[in-house]
Amino acid sequence: MKSTAREKPKPRQKKAGPETESPRIGVFVCQCGSNIASIIDVDALAKYAQTLPNVVHAESMSYPCSRQGQDEIVAAIKNSKLDRVVVAGCSPRLYEPTFQSCVSRAELNPWLFEMANIREFTSYCNQTMPEEANQKAKDTVRMAVAKARLLEPLKPIELPMTKKVMVIGGGIAGINAALDLADMGFKVYMVEKTETIGGVMALLDKTFPTLDCSICIEGPKMVDVGRHPNIEIISYADVLKVEGYVGNFNVKIRKNPRYVIAANCTGCGECRDACPIEYPNYADLYLGARKAISIPFGQAVPLTHTINRDYCIECYKCVDACGAREAINFDQKPEEIDVNVGAIVVTVGYSMYDPKDLTWTGYGKFSNVFTAMEFERLILAAGPTGGKVIRASDAQKPHSVAFMQCVGSRDINRYEYCSGFCCMYTLKHSVMLKEKYRDAIDVYVLYNDMRSNFKGYEEFFNRAQKSGVKFIRVKLENRRITEDPQTKNLTVCAETEDGKPVSVHAEMVVLANAAIPAPTTAELAKILNIPLDKDGFFKECQPKIRPTDTEVPGIFLAGACQGLKDIPYSVAQGSAAAAQAASVLGKKSWPVEPLVARVNEDLCSGCRVCESACGYHAIKVEKKGEKSVAKVTEGLCRGCGICSSACPMDAVTMPNYSDCQIVAQIQAVMKKGSRKT
Amino acid sequence: MPFQRLKRDTAKELCLEWVMQVKNYRLNLDKNRCVGCQICSLACPKEAIRIEKQPKALGEKARKARVDVDLSKCNFCGICDISCPYGAISVTVDGKHLLSVLDKESFPQLIRDVKVDATKFPVDPSKSENVCPINLIRVQYSTPEGKLVEDPRSLSSSELNALRMKVEVDKEHCPCCGICEAKLPQGAMHVRRIFSGKLAIRRENCPEGCTDCLDVCPITGALYLSDSDKKVHENEMFCVYCGACKIVCPVDKALDFKRTHIHHTAVRSGAWNKALERLTSPTDMTKELKAKRSLKARESVKKRMGLKEEQNV
Repeated sequence: MKSTAREKPKPRQKKAGPETESPRIGVFVCQCGSNIASIIDVDALAKYAQTLPNVVHAESMSYPCSRQGQDEIVAAIKNSKLDRVVVAGCSPRLYEPTFQSCVSRAELNPWLFEMANIREFTSYCNQTMPEEANQKAKDTVRMAVAKARLLEPLKPIELPMTKKVMVIGGGIAGINAALDLADMGFKVYMVEKTETIGGVMALLDKTFPTLDCSICIEGPKMVDVGRHPNIEIISYADVLKVEGYVGNFNVKIRKNPRYVIAANCTGCGECRDACPIEYPNYADLYLGARKAISIPFGQAVPLTHTINRDYCIECYKCVDACGAREAINFDQKPEEIDVNVGAIVVTVGYSMYDPKDLTWTGYGKFSNVFTAMEFERLILAAGPTGGKVIRASDAQKPHSVAFMQCVGSRDINRYEYCSGFCCMYTLKHSVMLKEKYRDAIDVYVLYNDMRSNFKGYEEFFNRAQKSGVKFIRVKLENRRITEDPQTKNLTVCAETEDGKPVSVHAEMVVLANAAIPAPTTAELAKILNIPLDKDGFFKECQPKIRPTDTEVPGIFLAGACQGLKDIPYSVAQGSAAAAQAASVLGKKSWPVEPLVARVNEDLCSGCRVCESACGYHAIKVEKKGEKSVAKVTEGLCRGCGICSSACPMDAVTMPNYSDCQIVAQIQAVMKKGSRKT
Repeated sequence: MPFQRLKRDTAKELCLEWVMQVKNYRLNLDKNRCVGCQICSLACPKEAIRIEKQPKALGEKARKARVDVDLSKCNFCGICDISCPYGAISVTVDGKHLLSVLDKESFPQLIRDVKVDATKFPVDPSKSENVCPINLIRVQYSTPEGKLVEDPRSLSSSELNALRMKVEVDKEHCPCCGICEAKLPQGAMHVRRIFSGKLAIRRENCPEGCTDCLDVCPITGALYLSDSDKKVHENEMFCVYCGACKIVCPVDKALDFKRTHIHHTAVRSGAWNKALERLTSPTDMTKELKAKRSLKARESVKKRMGLKEEQNV
């Protein structure tokens, strides 16, 4: 019976409560057009209500929720000096907030209002038996009146709002969310796990369907983030712990040591040139190497070098090269910082499935089988081969390339879902190859379904077909790649939809491997206390109408961590999540219904049963003086009442859902036909 | 193709590899040349090299310790390659033996000061071959027309005198023991040791009949079995201070062994200081650092005084 109201009730409240000797209750029975009145005799019900103890006013109305109806209720409260109001009508989920604000206009505390549901619970579900329905309506009203007698006035809880926001993950979705929020004037902390922001988009060559250079679009945005006065990038860092609630999250972050003082590093790269050690570069998908002190790629933001101590031999040549700038500090330690924010936007992105365990692909065994991301780094001019598409076996340009779709995805034994963007990037790769090498290369795409269903995508498919790419539709089962051990050329065998075998000879094969949740997703879900969906991505609150909300108020999702999506949709969702976060941050304070657990400290024994029962970490046992007592964090409590029912000492109560109120309701419903004497 | 870390261990060699599409790092350990001396494991900045003592069966000769490289720790820097006195390890990048740590002066080159004067070599091949305990000296005879003589030992001395003689010393693998210098006529070879140090056998602590150190010592003559007390004696004149003997010695106090100085090119590098400290001792490292400091001070004084540095020293 919890409403989702967000309106702030009027502060003026008449002092009224249980201390009042005899409460004066008013009952308003709603006809709701014919929804209620067709089954329930509303006038008789009003008359019956009049007979109940403490009821001083009862009437039936056509639409109490209408402007006119509300005015009548306000007038009745004033004229009959009512201090409790019961509306017998529809579900409180729909109209409780309306009536609460209505009674507060009559200077009555909004929590001295009670609703009896005689529509969903009575008229709707008992249409064939009007007599019983009428009796049930009376019971329902009697219960509501019994409870109303014991209602206590409550004060709304206002949580303070910290006007700062955290964006976790610096990919394209996070970059957009951060820039939008920062432009609105909020302080943004952008936490990034790797050394640089940019995410996957920063590693791509071109973007479909326009074939724009990826880093040329994203690079300026990355620089904007780095330069924005309202954005603080906390890169090379991990989120360890998130405590608190909307408006007041406390995030513990570990800044991993770069062994380079960011403030002193100018990004000149002289240390990099002096360094003798190399190790495989993750940004090049390990196709190439980087120095032990370096940046992962040229456009990195922040442009701060990082020493990888796993490989560094500590010759201190970098220290000599850095000289007077004195940016290098081998004594740096991991640093833990606490950041206080009002809202969090999670944009941790995705990662790629390693198809080594799909043995039919030969990936990892045959040197000329690549994943799409590896191919992306090969064709990229700034990549390890300088943009030359070459085979791993002989460093020669292939004369034929076969693209294999749906590797690991759309496979019930691996990942059942469709990764969404593979069809499009395969079209991109095939068009790029065909337009670069023309007739010198044969390009085959072995696909099952071509998914090109957004703006400009189908046209791009047509462009690929026109450019001479050969599309072969095959079944996803019985595919196999074999290698000629001498030439290292590959043969791709598959079956067409009607079961005929096809085989393609190619000098290079590129696999469209499944995109999967980022490795940190599950851990972060635990830290943020937000659920995951069956595929391991973050679960949104409602897939259709609240796709960027989580079940935790104040935490929002954007980008591929919520579900796989391509760049335009990640960007759009980043901005959407920013707007959602801004609507929270823009409030002066965050109102919470005062229906949160209350602890009677005299009764509490500090047994911690409530602590383990609470699903929201909202109740904790703390030392208070000599004894330990449970304490409720109002911002986290959802008023579910589990702690109250779990407490062996009856020390936890829910306001307006107390034992005596519920017992009074039960007694009322058991005492059939009780009359005012 | 994904990045691969490979390790192959055969009776002849240990081979580690990083295979990236555009780069290939490779470490080869030649097990025939390796004497199990521990120098590589002390020099390794990543502590990736482990020396495993081999069990000895009763009545058998002691076996040299086995060297194992941890693939997950090795970063292919090549410091083991540089520091191995026997040249048993070779680190290559894309098949080329070009070490970046030498290029960037992150690690010094060990100086193998071996000078050969072929004119002073004995003409008789039987006097010059087998002089080197690890067979690094090759003497070739050819006719004045340049034709190689296959079997010079069958020729008489007058015939040999008519031939041209060419001496080749495989310096890369030379531990600089100096035996050749002692055995060949004066001036034919000049060898200066890479490592200096101290080796003393405390024979009173030696187990009865134990010759383990002698069994593994690759330098014939550095250790020898004395006829008088049937115990192993040392001859520091030829010792290269590799320490292979110390590894296999079954008792604690029987062998006093330390390195005190390493002959190397000048560098300024933390990695070298650390290696030096482990290969010699903290005091010996301090000595070197002090020497370096005074050298630097002398240079700066010279500069300030406007004296011209003597270039050809």
